[in-house]
Amino acid sequence: MSAHPTYMLDRCEVADSHTLKVYRENGGYEALEKVLKTPLSPEDVIAVLKDSGLRGRGGAGFPTGLKWSFMPDVAKDDRPRYLAVNADESEPGTCKDRVLLREDPHGLIEGILIACYAMRAEAAYVYVRGEYRLPYERVAAAIDEARAAGLVGENVMGTDFSCQIWMHKGAGAYICGEETGLMESLEGKRGHPRPKPPFPAGYGLWGNPTTVNNVETIQNVPFIVSRGAEWFRSMGTEKSTGNFLCGISGHVERPGVYELPFGLSARSILEEVAGGVWKGRELKAFFPGGSSTGVLPAGSIDVAMDHDSVKGAGSMFGTGAMIFMDETTCVTRIAEVTLRFYEHESCGQCSQCREGTQWLHQIFRRIERGQGTMDDVDMLSTLASGMAPGKTICALSDAAAIPTHSVVKHFRDELEEHVRLGRCPLAGTSQPVGAGA
Amino acid sequence: MTKITINGREVDADPAQPLIRACHDHGADVPMYCYHPGLSPVGSCRICQVEVQQGDMPPRVVVACRTPVVEGMVVDTEAERAHETRRECLEFLLKNHPLDCPICDKAGECDLQDYAFAEGQGKGRSAEPRRKLEKRKSLGDVIVLDQERCILCSRCTRFMEEVPRTPQLTVSDLGSRSVIETFMDRPLTGNYQGNLADICPVGALTLKEFRFQARVWNLRKTPSTCAECSRGCAITVETLRGGEVKRFRPRPDLEVNQYWMCDTGRFALDRANLPARLPAATLRGQSGLEEADVEDAVDVLADMVGAHRASAVVLVSPFATQEEAAAVQRLAAELGAAPAFVSPPPNDLKDDVLHTGDPCPNRRGLTGLGFEALTAEDALARLADAELAVLAGERVVELVGAEGLAAVRASLRLVVLDAVPVDVPALDVALGVPTHVEKSGTWVNVDGVRRRLSLAVPPPVGVAPLEQTVERMLARLQAAEVRG
Ligand SMILES: Cc1cc2nc3c(=O)[nH]c(=O)nc-3n(C[C@H](O)[C@H](O)[C@H](O)COP(=O)(O)O)c2cc1C
Ligand code: SF4
Ligand code: SF4
Ligand code: FES
Repeated sequence: MSAHPTYMLDRCEVADSHTLKVYRENGGYEALEKVLKTPLSPEDVIAVLKDSGLRGRGGAGFPTGLKWSFMPDVAKDDRPRYLAVNADESEPGTCKDRVLLREDPHGLIEGILIACYAMRAEAAYVYVRGEYRLPYERVAAAIDEARAAGLVGENVMGTDFSCQIWMHKGAGAYICGEETGLMESLEGKRGHPRPKPPFPAGYGLWGNPTTVNNVETIQNVPFIVSRGAEWFRSMGTEKSTGNFLCGISGHVERPGVYELPFGLSARSILEEVAGGVWKGRELKAFFPGGSSTGVLPAGSIDVAMDHDSVKGAGSMFGTGAMIFMDETTCVTRIAEVTLRFYEHESCGQCSQCREGTQWLHQIFRRIERGQGTMDDVDMLSTLASGMAPGKTICALSDAAAIPTHSVVKHFRDELEEHVRLGRCPLAGTSQPVGAGA
Repeated sequence: MTKITINGREVDADPAQPLIRACHDHGADVPMYCYHPGLSPVGSCRICQVEVQQGDMPPRVVVACRTPVVEGMVVDTEAERAHETRRECLEFLLKNHPLDCPICDKAGECDLQDYAFAEGQGKGRSAEPRRKLEKRKSLGDVIVLDQERCILCSRCTRFMEEVPRTPQLTVSDLGSRSVIETFMDRPLTGNYQGNLADICPVGALTLKEFRFQARVWNLRKTPSTCAECSRGCAITVETLRGGEVKRFRPRPDLEVNQYWMCDTGRFALDRANLPARLPAATLRGQSGLEEADVEDAVDVLADMVGAHRASAVVLVSPFATQEEAAAVQRLAAELGAAPAFVSPPPNDLKDDVLHTGDPCPNRRGLTGLGFEALTAEDALARLADAELAVLAGERVVELVGAEGLAAVRASLRLVVLDAVPVDVPALDVALGVPTHVEKSGTWVNVDGVRRRLSLAVPPPVGVAPLEQTVERMLARLQAAEVRG
């Protein structure tokens, strides 16, 4: 395994890492103390975040410091303001936040407190995927512990900074991970994303200024505050700084969640971190960052895993959840399964997404079963072009269109082979992988 | 007002309204399904795509119903990219649509059909089976739902939440499995359900009452005013050849009813399609009431009125228009009587949406002219002391009470102008009048807003507008005086 400095998962290895006692023994809440006792001003904190180059880990890679600075000026806007922590983690292949929630809940709480301080938010809501029972319980217990220790609630650490943290359990809908769907769901409504504008910073939870951040994003905050922006920038690449949690799944020897700096090549991650393709087989394709990112062929394996490089290779960094598929994999079947997921999870508001996800799924299914036509292959592209980019309320429609385009682009031969043969050319050898196959 | 450019023309746009309104106000045809001017905009159907250019930014294709107007914005509703995006959207909307237009009540006024005709590709590309869902799901007494036709625009759920504020409809399940439902399949309730059939852009929500009754392109539409309460909602009266009224539907009138009407008004068709009519003129003869020539009847009437004018009662129906009332008022003055109208008591339909609970559509107008409001009892009490009574207007006999009238002394000289046949012993002369769908005129609503009724159906042969008949009587009376 490549030798590189780590920070996020270090604590998680320690026994009872989820307790306040162990957290404190390992330097926990020192960053918060630095912020409150130095004291740093909220603007100072945002400046450090901007300087660090931290980008959101929820999928879009948006600069975190900049996002926080979108919150309206308190002098001009005295509405209550909130932080919503996105722990809905439902993107197929993505399983990193689960580790953090379960093993390092106090790290999240400390990050939340600093974020709320910086954005002058009076409360944070942690929206946890419903299936994450142990992670939920760990965070809930940690909040109780922190509250009892005067770290959450009124007058944190005896200062005049107050902050509440509330938890909410999702009910199993992927769309509630989309930031505005999440807010609707938190408000007790159906998780139907809201059209933007207005953006959450101006009109979020209950109509008040709100920032939504991913768990891993928030988890980075105390480290940056303690160790400085320069330290953070010393890891990763110029435009993708720090480490990221890489969830590796699929046909590899050692699947799991690894902490890696941005910029390693996909090949080195596959070979050195994940132990290579399993059973000594060849690689056929991989999703670089979850099922919503374009699938790449084995030939792209030398791409560097940072936002710009993956984009340059025609895909997206996404959530950094790499799904590897070996040579026996039927990519058509992968596409069918992926689109089945998006059809199932579309909220159904937008015509293109509601009907398009179903349509794409149906076509992939027909092709896979040998009932497709050559026209179907072209139709996949034109339909996907009708669904995205930017044609719908949220990016789920894009998330269905992008893998579709990539499969047609890189695996057209395989699709056409299905049509010609009237059956799956890989039938019998194909190993289902990923998204609930 | 905000200055923007739409399709090359600089126009004034209301900054409080989304861009789609400015487009529609200035003649640019932008399709819409989820947007409705009377409901909150959700921007979900994605059909209203237009190209917008602002400042130095390159042009973007955006949904017009969720885009605010900004000074200097340049809008092109016909840009090829906008058309393309709308066409794509339409194709998705048609993917699961059953296309059963030939048996759909909405055909002819369906936004999906219209736009598919204008812009669609003519041939569907989908080889997949269409979604199979419930085709005739009863949602109560008023509405039937065809889930297959539904395009999930959510107008109906928003209407129920925002207008009568009874959120009884919802989208249940997700994505391509979404369907419109009521909680636990309970029937819809309330007095505003009919509006659902109007706002549903397709034939998913239709009126049970109108089911398979008419093809809408055969309906003649006349703007008018609802007669069921003193709100006086703006409506269209929709008639088939032959004059049968098939529908009352609301017309937008922001001062009165916005876009809506209540079910009481909507389904008051029996009041327009009367089974039996009072002929133009009937006179009491040897064998009871006999049909007569209008001129003869007026002669008889004038003689009779002349002889008994000393203690006359003049009473109109609350459906009298300002024009009718003015004529009756002159007659009353001639007879030295104080004009009054029958005022039935408030009913229990009053709500905080539209219905006022006052069944007199022209109360404000009549009281404004100096007509006194009389209950049926008071009216009958006056008749007891009178020698002569003139009762004029649609439903006047019903509202005073046919039973009460039957009991008045036979020596009372009674003249009735009504739309339906009437026979009580005291009656001497009866003249037919038009109903509210057969006349033009003015009513003044509960808030003092003046609105027009217009003739949607011709009255029966020989039946003249009430004000004309009254003027004739008056002229005949005055002529007799001069001679006398
Ligand atoms: C369909 C959809 C699902 C999403 N699901 C998640 C999720 O489960 N977790 C998450 O953090 N972000 C998710 N996102 C991204 C969020 O909308 C949002 O961008 C993110 O939480 C912002 O956090 P960040 O700035 O810290 O990355 C999803 C986005 C879409 C379009
Ligand atoms: S794009 Fe899809 S998931 Fe997103 S709001 Fe529209 S229908 Fe819902
Ligand atoms: S039933 Fe009609 S109004 Fe309601 S969502 Fe469906 S199409 Fe829209
Ligand atoms: S009418 Fe604008 S999105 Fe539906």
